[in-house]
Amino acid sequence: MGTVKISFKLNGCDMNVEVLPNTLLVDLLRDVLGLKGTKVGCREGECGVCTVLLEGEAVNSCILPAVKVGGKSVVTIEGLVKENGQLHPIQQAFISEGAVQCGFCTPGMIMNAKALLDKHPHPSDGEIRSGISGVLCRCTGYRKIVQAIKTASQAGGRK
Amino acid sequence: MAEKSDKKKKVKVVTKEKEDLQQLMAAPIGLSVVGQSLDRTDAFLKVSGKLSFGADYPEEGFLHGKILRSPFPHALIKSIHVEKAKQLPGVVAVLTAKDIPGRNGFGAILPDQPVICGDKVRFVGDGVALVAAESERIAEEALERIEVDYEPLPPVFDPIEALKEDAPKIHEKGNLLSYNKLRKGDIEKGFAAAEVVLERTYQVPILEHVYLEPDIAMAIPQSDGTMLVEGPMQAPFTVRRNLSAVLGIPINKVRVRQIHMGGGFGGKEDSPIDIGCRAAVLANHTGRPVRLALEREEVTLQTSKRHPMVMKVKIGAKKDGKLVAFEGVIYDEQGAYAGLGPVIPPAGGSHIHSMIMMPGPYEIPNVKVDAYLSYTNHPYGGAMRGFGAPQVHIAHEQAMDELAEILGMNPIDIRQKNAFKQGSVTATSQVLDQSVGLLDTLDSCAKAFDWDRRYRETGYLDKERTKRRGVGIGMGWYRTSIGTSSDGCGANVYVHEDGSVLLFTGITEMGQGAFTVLPQICAEELGVRLEDVRVVQPDTDIVPESGPTVGSRSTTLMGNAIVLAARQVKEAIFEMASEMLAVPMEQLEAKDRKIYDQKHPNQSVLFREVVAKCMGKGKRLIGQGWWAPPMASLDPETGQGNPYFVYTYSTHMAEVVVDVETGEVEITDYVAAFDIGKAINPRTVEGQIEGGVAMGIGYALMEEVVLKEGYIQNMNLQNYLIPTSLDIPDIKPIILEVENKYGPYGAKGIGEMPNIPATPAVLNAIANACGGRVRSLPADPETVYWAIKEKGGPPKH
Repeated sequence: MGTVKISFKLNGCDMNVEVLPNTLLVDLLRDVLGLKGTKVGCREGECGVCTVLLEGEAVNSCILPAVKVGGKSVVTIEGLVKENGQLHPIQQAFISEGAVQCGFCTPGMIMNAKALLDKHPHPSDGEIRSGISGVLCRCTGYRKIVQAIKTASQAGGRK
Repeated sequence: MAEKSDKKKKVKVVTKEKEDLQQLMAAPIGLSVVGQSLDRTDAFLKVSGKLSFGADYPEEGFLHGKILRSPFPHALIKSIHVEKAKQLPGVVAVLTAKDIPGRNGFGAILPDQPVICGDKVRFVGDGVALVAAESERIAEEALERIEVDYEPLPPVFDPIEALKEDAPKIHEKGNLLSYNKLRKGDIEKGFAAAEVVLERTYQVPILEHVYLEPDIAMAIPQSDGTMLVEGPMQAPFTVRRNLSAVLGIPINKVRVRQIHMGGGFGGKEDSPIDIGCRAAVLANHTGRPVRLALEREEVTLQTSKRHPMVMKVKIGAKKDGKLVAFEGVIYDEQGAYAGLGPVIPPAGGSHIHSMIMMPGPYEIPNVKVDAYLSYTNHPYGGAMRGFGAPQVHIAHEQAMDELAEILGMNPIDIRQKNAFKQGSVTATSQVLDQSVGLLDTLDSCAKAFDWDRRYRETGYLDKERTKRRGVGIGMGWYRTSIGTSSDGCGANVYVHEDGSVLLFTGITEMGQGAFTVLPQICAEELGVRLEDVRVVQPDTDIVPESGPTVGSRSTTLMGNAIVLAARQVKEAIFEMASEMLAVPMEQLEAKDRKIYDQKHPNQSVLFREVVAKCMGKGKRLIGQGWWAPPMASLDPETGQGNPYFVYTYSTHMAEVVVDVETGEVEITDYVAAFDIGKAINPRTVEGQIEGGVAMGIGYALMEEVVLKEGYIQNMNLQNYLIPTSLDIPDIKPIILEVENKYGPYGAKGIGEMPNIPATPAVLNAIANACGGRVRSLPADPETVYWAIKEKGGPPKH
């Protein structure tokens, strides 16, 4: 299988990589580019822990061919932390509201929340619950996650 | 005078720091670290994506392990040919049963599961060969080249069928793995005295844990012949014991090191033994590091499950609701291997725990329970958040409601009449002499939920008469220990010259918050801050034996060990501080990085200064604590004794809306109250409550591993459904603290309790809403629809 050259923006940086046509975005991110913050839970787009932003939309990177991101912008959990190490308000709220337990869904959940708040800076509880329903969490029962997103939205969750 | 000026000097040093000056003015009162909702110590790494789980570790240098699995639920292995697989370039080893260096069997309790099956397979997914290759793809290709000739045997999939004489024998010793009985009082007299008798059968399906992190193990042979195994585990010491036997080397040549875990819920007590042993056998054979990572489907196929059960309940009561007799029969399905089902005397094993818990948290003078644990050709049963208790709670809590209905009683009144209180005697004749807050949880839950009003106001919500609202209650109890000799917990506390602290325990962090709660206890005891204590990842080479992270035991049992360890160090520190402050030791208190004179709180020295001085004088700043609960007892013939030393209690109340035309259930409100002795970190406790309830709701409404002739039909999360954010309401937790005199700061366990009464609370609410009683789970729309039909259709009013 021949490789395909793609160029895209990853966390604000220009990337030029060669991938196989069947390489999935999550494998490009984790295995080729070494960004392991994005997790793999089911490899069929059901659990959502692999969520990243593609052109600002939350997508499951475990079922998205990497070639599809050519010419587009991808943001991962690593891209949310500022260069000086400062956390994004959503990340901060996840800590202060106790929305983190095992942490395996956390990156995907936070990316999903980011997509939501970028579109709806002040969502209702119901909008938050709908907005994050694509990411499974087995630890928290979701209440503290909803609370964290609300807290972040009140603090101006948009970057 | 000279002494006094010395003291002043010390104070001066302190006052250099502004923050310290402010705190110096405030007298130390009460607890300063324990009881605080401090941020989790691992939260920063987790939100920033920087925390490495097993799958995030570099793969360079590792071989990739793969397991060839049985395609039959029950079959003899006639022959196996691996040559074609071995010839594939990149394949380094293909192992069969004959290649196991030591015991070809593993298991948490009974090592009856072959590392590699030699003569027979017992479930779809049993391992028949292992491959190690340079890449995962090559390993997978190698699996396809292995030729196995099977002779299928008749399988058995039902725990009751399995006990029949002519049932196919799964193991040589027969299909009855364990039979346990409980006898209290005189059951016949009890029922003779009853004015009402209720008999019901309840059935629960097999469940998958669905921890989001798939299992992984890495085995790395060391140059000195030691085998190092790393992975996310709940029971590193159990893994070590099994590795030693399977590899045929002494325990001190096995090193098991924990890495961060993305959820366990009991499931990562068994599975790391399985993949740890298999990875180690490959690593041992090849002399190279081997990584064995499971895909989601493999997790579903291969790892332990929650035991499915058929439960028969017969309850006798007086007309006023007072219970006089309880008879129960449990047909508990173990599946193909012993897992965590059978008993380790006196009380370990999920099966005997089910038996002990079955009559519920109620005082009943006459009790009889017979509990059968059968092998079948299904996946094997292990631990899952409640260890045999969720199942039996579904039985007794529904039976209590059904009984209340017959008696025309309010469900909370019948419970009030029978619930455990201080001094109550359990079904095992254990006297509950302390920390019994069950009725407190009932009262506070009922108040917060506004039960009386809501119970009156159930009924149709809409003019079209399609949606009916109902409320339900679930009460429960749960142990804080395993009930075996392996309950002993060790902790080491090292204080360093700068006042920073290392805490060594064998308790693992799976998301529950142990790495925040345990150092909180350590910090409180030493008088330092949480950020001063670093928890060392469990590593069996360097942490003391601690038993497994199960049974809601960590905070209480390990907490006590930490207190004891910290006190050893504190004694040395107080000796020195006493000299420095010229104050008797018993007058000192340690708090917020300082040692105070309790009588003159403005007289203090910095913790780190005392520590530095201790170091200079050769004092020991290493503490080792060991704590084991009062020894458990349980008579094998009568099931009488004190199996667990303390219990957590809880009451849940749920409101549901049922669409009587479609059977769809929406949970609209939820309150859950807990007596947990003491919340070391209340926010973490809330997290346990909310997550546990959510899992219990999943059990009630949607979860089931669907099996057809031994084959799992829902291997991935597309069709094994767990609750999403849209299925779970805002759960309102209530934390009550009825002090446990055996617990650190009065604490008891919380990890599993929230999961347990949640399921029956929802089922009772459904029955209250629509009249339909779901006695065989899950209560999915179709099941609820038929339950309504069975009752003669939706209620008229």
